[in-house]
Amino acid sequence: MRELELYFGPQHLGMVGNFSITLNVEGDRIVKATANPGFLHRGFEKLMEQRTWIQNFPLVCRINVVEPDHMELMYAMAVEKLAGIEVPERARFIRSIYLELARIGSHLFGLWAYANMLGFDTVANWAMYHRDLVLDLFEELTGGRVYHIYIWPGGVRRDFPEGFKDRIINTLHTIGSCVPDYDNTFFNNRVFYKRAKNIGKITCEEAKRMGAVGQVLRATGMKQDIRKTEPYAAYDQVDWEIPVRTDGDAYSRIWVVRDEMIESVHMIFKLLDKMPEGEVYNKIPNPFKWKIPDKDAYVRCESSRGELGLYLVSNGGDKPYRAHFRTPSYNHGLTILEKALENESIADVGNIMISLYITAPEIDR
Amino acid sequence: MKNTGQLLKEKLLLSFEDIQAEVSDEHRLTVNCRKDTVITVLSFLNNSGYDHLALISCVDWIKDNVLELVYILTAYAEDKGKAKMNILVKTRITREKPGLHTVIPVFENAEPYERELHELYGIHFMGHPRLTPLFLEREYKIPPFRKDFDTRKYVQEVFDQIPFVEDKKAEK
Repeated sequence: MRELELYFGPQHLGMVGNFSITLNVEGDRIVKATANPGFLHRGFEKLMEQRTWIQNFPLVCRINVVEPDHMELMYAMAVEKLAGIEVPERARFIRSIYLELARIGSHLFGLWAYANMLGFDTVANWAMYHRDLVLDLFEELTGGRVYHIYIWPGGVRRDFPEGFKDRIINTLHTIGSCVPDYDNTFFNNRVFYKRAKNIGKITCEEAKRMGAVGQVLRATGMKQDIRKTEPYAAYDQVDWEIPVRTDGDAYSRIWVVRDEMIESVHMIFKLLDKMPEGEVYNKIPNPFKWKIPDKDAYVRCESSRGELGLYLVSNGGDKPYRAHFRTPSYNHGLTILEKALENESIADVGNIMISLYITAPEIDR
Repeated sequence: MKNTGQLLKEKLLLSFEDIQAEVSDEHRLTVNCRKDTVITVLSFLNNSGYDHLALISCVDWIKDNVLELVYILTAYAEDKGKAKMNILVKTRITREKPGLHTVIPVFENAEPYERELHELYGIHFMGHPRLTPLFLEREYKIPPFRKDFDTRKYVQEVFDQIPFVEDKKAEK
């Protein structure tokens, strides 16, 4: 059969953001896929070299639109490491709770994208509504819905408002009470099973070789999570499990996402119980005159998509000398996607892309 | 008892002659080596269980006239001591016609990182299968992430030449 070249994207259902793939197809089988990023390259890392340490906060949270909070955390952690700033105990707990809420919000957004792409519009609308409830919490806490700039070197910007703890619990109960509905209509749905089972399959060995992290790795049976291996914030203060699946296909990956959301909710309840009283931030030097010693630092955390890292270099000045984000979507979208699409059908392209949980702004930066 | 970083440092210093290794904090090992030994150091570390290449970064030290490449390795292992380690392998190359061998034979996922550095810093990776543009739209005389690339001047030269829509209409 004749081989044809098919341009897929940059606007399509398989992706949050713009990203295109060139597919070489024979009939409706994909022979070769070539990822083509760059539609959202805004040069943030270069721009960060022109801004002072504090001015960079509004920039970093815009690198990934879906989960700005982990980006803030990374930058704050790197600056803390370079400048030697300690974080108070209560701020660590608040950070963990806040990041888990962000994870739930981001996963619900991912669920919206996946359900929407497969035509499960009801589930998509539920997920979007529930994400909005989480955003309401963020609005009350930080003043912003999507970009919060709440995590700060030395702690968090402000303490929980009065009664906020109860409102978190209420919101999580509201979302939690709908889990059976989600299960019946989506996760245990035969139609979904047929669409996602054995699609975009990756073995554990392949995943490791190609640098997979996060859900993609955990869906192949590997128990790996930075929150366990190199705990930051208050993740070492509570007990929790890493959800894993063993099949390594799209179906397993989305189940890992589901289990992770539930685990996050449990974790928030435990963290709220244990949260100590006290200060929420340590004072930092005058931001206009703040110079950081000549050093470099690499920090990492588990964002909702996998291992997120930041390599930050200072040359002793008032601005970063170099910042480089290691984002989870980078290898998922450029190395693994090209492999996973081989020999699949055109109809499954969007399905595989979303199940790999890729966001374009994170790749391009 | 020595920690994982110290043990690995000793192992590295025994196996290689011209490298410097330093354990700067509990979970971080920095290795400085020459550009032609990078690939052997990386494959040695890969065989020692540090099998995840997290990032390849580059820093332009324009005052010293060098580009510093930083390979960051971590481990997939469930062994706690290993999993916590971050290993930074650093090498310095000249800014004029910079080039070194690709590490794709050791870490398959190095491919897009090397492509990115080729585009943004102008580093040529020998043996790389496709050093085609990744993010950028135009060609640049100086690679745009280098320190001597003047963003403001570039913007003025390129984008100020484009006439406003209103001016175009007035001409008609």
